[in-house]
Amino acid sequence: MSSMIELKNVCKSFGETEVLHNIDLSIQEGEVVVVIGPSGSGKSTLIRCINCLEMLSSGELIVDKIKIPEERGKVRQIRLEVGMVFQQFNLFPHMTALENVAFGPSKARKMNKAKAADIARDLLDKVGLADFEDKLPGQLSGGQQQRVAIARALAVSPKVLLFDEPTSALDPEMIGEVLDVMKNIARDSGMTMVVVTHEMGFAAQVGDRLIFMDDGKIVEEGKPGEVMKNPKSERLKDFLGHVKHH
Amino acid sequence: MGFEFSVITESLPALLAGAKLTWIITILGIVGGMICGILAGLGRIAGTASLGEEPHGIFKPLSVMTRYISGGYVETIRGTPIIVQAMFLYFAFPMLVKAVTDIERFRIEALTAAVITIIFNAGAYIAEIVRGSVVSVNKGLLEAGMSLGITRFQLIVHVIGPIAFRRMIPPLGNQFIISLKDTSLFIVIGVGELTRQGQEIMASNFRALEIWLTVAVMYLIMTTVLAMSLRKIERKMKIF
Repeated sequence: MSSMIELKNVCKSFGETEVLHNIDLSIQEGEVVVVIGPSGSGKSTLIRCINCLEMLSSGELIVDKIKIPEERGKVRQIRLEVGMVFQQFNLFPHMTALENVAFGPSKARKMNKAKAADIARDLLDKVGLADFEDKLPGQLSGGQQQRVAIARALAVSPKVLLFDEPTSALDPEMIGEVLDVMKNIARDSGMTMVVVTHEMGFAAQVGDRLIFMDDGKIVEEGKPGEVMKNPKSERLKDFLGHVKHH
Repeated sequence: MGFEFSVITESLPALLAGAKLTWIITILGIVGGMICGILAGLGRIAGTASLGEEPHGIFKPLSVMTRYISGGYVETIRGTPIIVQAMFLYFAFPMLVKAVTDIERFRIEALTAAVITIIFNAGAYIAEIVRGSVVSVNKGLLEAGMSLGITRFQLIVHVIGPIAFRRMIPPLGNQFIISLKDTSLFIVIGVGELTRQGQEIMASNFRALEIWLTVAVMYLIMTTVLAMSLRKIERKMKIF
């Protein structure tokens, strides 16, 4: 097993505010890492740094042997290897479900239209939306949109998938269908996954490692079950108390 | 001296010829204005997060320069009356050419000057329409595109462009109609468009009521055609 993602001494500031503070993190190939923490703790910024949607203020990022900032010109290559699923789905509103999913393979991977459509149909089938390929995003429910978004991210066959609070914008009854799709990916594909979420059940079930962030730092990490059962820091105890009460 | 229909029928051929010229200037003007406006509009936001991510290296100063040039163009055009622009191009520009080069008999045809004026004038306003629409595209969609590993060019053509274009249609309709009516100002440089034809007929027969009524109706027909074509495009592109 080799390191798929490495962050060395990473800092990120927006103006005067430092959002990430000396983060050191190494994620192995095939590992499923769940990141939790209060809002404003820097967890979203952390995963946005991994596919270079945010550029590091200092420190080093290594994704699949590509070094940032040293090899800044290879950002696009990193993004081909690292897919992302967003809280707000961000499907292209003018494209059907099928077109959304086929877009990556045909444009970023330069496949011909027919082959890209085949891949897209396959993936829509996998996320249980085979019958919805001609629907526009506006005609789909939140849960369905997020499943299309997951299929879209998978379509360029990345090595890593990042999830930025994928269920936070969903109605409660739709959270399950999205989590199920994510569990299947973790189980079947051996994909490296970094998931920012508040779904503790999901963390316990499929997470290999749980990371608790607060104030731009990694405060605690370890096996999800152990970390949740025996939180060492007051801050994590406090946080878990709040999450469980929902 | 009541209302005489025969005055209208007699002057119709000349007025139609004027309307035809108005139409030609307008169409050439808005086609050129669109090209000009898209370039200047994108130029004004070159290198900003609205067009993907911020550039680095040599592209950084280049994008700043592009923003300044586009901004200067838009402000200059918006800040001066179109009638002054037309006069400058038709009367003053040839003198400027003569002053700085050896070319003695440089001249711009009145019709050419009219078309160029509309192109640059409409272009400046369209640039702002383009900029506004592009900036309003949800940043999350750009991030989704970038996270798929597509290039900036693909992002602009396949994501930003189509979404922004839908939002441009209503304000573009406004601008096209304004440009059509602005062609009437070229009466000052002697282009034989519709208003000029009306003015000339009026000067010979003094039938103001019949002539200006006909001229007004002709403008109304042309602007209606423009508005309806845009509505048709808008309906076709409606997505949500």
